[in-house]
Amino acid sequence: MNSLSDGSPAEAITVVLVEDDAPTLWRLQDALTKAGYQVKAAGTLAEARACLAQGAPKVLLTDLQLPDGHGVDLIRETRQRFPDTEIMVISILGDEESVISAITVGATGYLLKDAFPTDIAATVRDLVAGHSPISASIARFIVRRTQNTPEPPPGPVLNTAKLTPREIDILWGIAKGFSYAEIASHLGLSRQTVPGHIKNIYRKLEVHTRGEAVFEAVQQGLIRL
Amino acid sequence: MAERLPVRRWRRLRRSRLFQYLLLQAMIAGLCVLALLPSLPGPPAHYQLTAFNLTEAGAERAMTLPYFSHLRNAMNDPPRFSGRFVRPADEAGRASSVFLPRFTNGVEVTVNGVAILDSRRDPAANRPDRNTPAIAVIPPSLLHDGDNAISIRLFIWGPVTGFLDRIWVGPDELLRPSYNLRTLIFVTLPVVFSSWQAILAVILGIMWVMRRHEPAYGVLAAAMAVGVAQAFLQTPMGDETPFSRLNVVLIAAAPIECALVLTFALLFSGMKWPRYGWVLFLPGGLLALAGLFGNQTLVRGLFLVLAVPMVGLSLVLMAVITARSALKRQNVASFMLGCAVTIMLTCWIADMLAVFQVVPNRIFVSRLSYSAMLVAIGAGLTWRFARALNEVDSFAGRLVTQVRVAEEKLKASFAREEERARAAALARERTRLMRDLHDGLGGQLVSIVALSERGNGGADIADAARAALKDLRLVIDSMDDIGGDLMLALGSWRERAMAQLRPHGIALDWRAGTAQGLPVHPELRPWHVIQIVRLLDEAVTNAVKHADAKHITVRIETLADADGLARGCITVEDDGRGFEITPEGTAAGSIKAARGLRNMRSRAARCGAELELSSCAQGDHQADNQGDVPGTRVRLTLPHRFPDSDGAAG
Repeated sequence: MNSLSDGSPAEAITVVLVEDDAPTLWRLQDALTKAGYQVKAAGTLAEARACLAQGAPKVLLTDLQLPDGHGVDLIRETRQRFPDTEIMVISILGDEESVISAITVGATGYLLKDAFPTDIAATVRDLVAGHSPISASIARFIVRRTQNTPEPPPGPVLNTAKLTPREIDILWGIAKGFSYAEIASHLGLSRQTVPGHIKNIYRKLEVHTRGEAVFEAVQQGLIRL
Repeated sequence: MAERLPVRRWRRLRRSRLFQYLLLQAMIAGLCVLALLPSLPGPPAHYQLTAFNLTEAGAERAMTLPYFSHLRNAMNDPPRFSGRFVRPADEAGRASSVFLPRFTNGVEVTVNGVAILDSRRDPAANRPDRNTPAIAVIPPSLLHDGDNAISIRLFIWGPVTGFLDRIWVGPDELLRPSYNLRTLIFVTLPVVFSSWQAILAVILGIMWVMRRHEPAYGVLAAAMAVGVAQAFLQTPMGDETPFSRLNVVLIAAAPIECALVLTFALLFSGMKWPRYGWVLFLPGGLLALAGLFGNQTLVRGLFLVLAVPMVGLSLVLMAVITARSALKRQNVASFMLGCAVTIMLTCWIADMLAVFQVVPNRIFVSRLSYSAMLVAIGAGLTWRFARALNEVDSFAGRLVTQVRVAEEKLKASFAREEERARAAALARERTRLMRDLHDGLGGQLVSIVALSERGNGGADIADAARAALKDLRLVIDSMDDIGGDLMLALGSWRERAMAQLRPHGIALDWRAGTAQGLPVHPELRPWHVIQIVRLLDEAVTNAVKHADAKHITVRIETLADADGLARGCITVEDDGRGFEITPEGTAAGSIKAARGLRNMRSRAARCGAELELSSCAQGDHQADNQGDVPGTRVRLTLPHRFPDSDGAAG
């Protein structure tokens, strides 16, 4: 979230917002509407599916704990039906428990529920512009998983086998609070290539199909054949 | 009654055991007697020659063999037996021999005036205890058909009286099998047993050398060595020489060997060594002295009165000792020794009967029966060795079981200990979490409640709630495993601080010197992280709320101190108003600011870090380390090692 920039509000960009807590929903909706986004609000999984049935939104923002189901299912469905839709999780704490499981089904990053309205708008704008934000705590969780430990650490399952050393270096930089520019200079990269690497990281962490999920589980020794 | 019964039963058991033992020994003795009764087979009877004319002490008379002389010494004028035998004409072409199955001590055989045999030249034949037979081929040229003269001189030199058994004259091929049988039994077999005894001496000697605390083996080895020396050394004949004098000592071998074996039996059966035990060695010692300083006649005289009774006495004592040991300890080795002693005792009695001419023969079997003792010793040794091996095996097996049991116990206790440690860690962590939540989240929630009750100040409520959420995230974040790298915690903190500063339009300038940033501290614990992050939060909050700053700079460096050790250093600077610091290091002015500074100091102290505060108030141009630039600087120098316990927590 170091790449926030002030630009002109996007036009006619559709955002599907799924949140069961009404005040929070209003708050987020206000922030996004003021920034010029076209927001479709949903309080349940069923409403969200109804919204998505009307066509692909540019952005899907969803809470995970919904009264009639789990946000992860919604993210997976959306990812499969609309590959171009950018998906983000709405989270209270931004903890890895919820965010990582969302990332593995296709979400990119999270939005804190108490973020300032300007920050909410800026985050969505960056997302639409193709910049996938990654927070220091999530980066930290991922790089800790790349380190070899005798027993698998607690928390959600994550396969980091496909990450290149360079991508892991970038994640270390983010986890330590460095900006993209600082990371680029430390690693001898161009500043502009860092967001691309991050997008790749998200793609690699995503488990695409059922078969692949099984394959990766076997690879990691989570399933014994 | 109940106590007496077992004692009585035990006594009865012991008595029945003694009875069984004695019965067995009696059976063994009976078998011995049965084996000794039949005489050895001889050549055909018609070649036997028994009628002789005896010339003894100047007198001549007719007699029949066997002949017991009353003389103990007859070297210069030995008894002379003259007889005649007929060589049939049809046997002219066959070799003829004279066969003397038994005599004491030596014979010289003359046929037709020509001496054909002198047994004194055969060392084995010179030992009266060996029953050595003699055979001599008569040169055919000496013989003529019909009558031939034969004369035998019997040399006697003690210690027993002279004896000449019936003799045979006839074809060599008929006499020799008988001779060979006697040689095998009385000459070859004793040599074999003596070799066995020599091996035993070596084995027992090694045993004693390796196990010095068991002198029984040493004593037995000495006994065996004495026996071997006695068997292979020659009996002195003829002139007195220093060498022969030394040989005489060997006559003392039998009593010494007896005393040694008796000592062994005493030690082996675990009995106390009697105070007058040395008396056992007295006969042997006396005989040895007599051999060294007296003459042969004296030695042989003493031999009869000292050595022979000593052997008998030793055998009787041995019988008692081994019987006791075999009954008391139920020991196979003692039992076998007891049987051997019974055999020897029986044979010794038989020999005594022969010496005193109670039986019409003079075959000595004591020495031969000693082989039974040797066999018993060998078997006993092997038995003990095998039993010791079994004991080692079972001990090893027991040890393995015990080690396994101990291992399992240890594992269980280790698991228990681990469980306890985990429970303690969990309890500690809960306490810490509670304190952290109480410090931050609790206070903020209370303040939200208070603000809501007043009904106004919506913005304040929002601030307090946001601060509470921020604190909740900090507590959760700090509990994550960051592997001692504080930078990983600071990374999250930067995000939160930027989100906090953005609405106020304050820029956060983040300057980390290197990619690594700060040294890694493996001892870094979540509560250290919380204290440091809260301290930094406090510095930033001060800059926002009180200093009205536009820029905040966070500088992260690694400094090498005088010892060459790396120390992390975090500096937070703002360009705000600044404030005055009293000489005591607290902020002058508002109470709230003063409390904030005190909090920061206390947090730094808990982590063992050094906090340095400097501030320059706006418009205050006093000389200061900040120079003329206004603002506040908080400089936190991290310790080499974070403290284990929260010393300042109480």
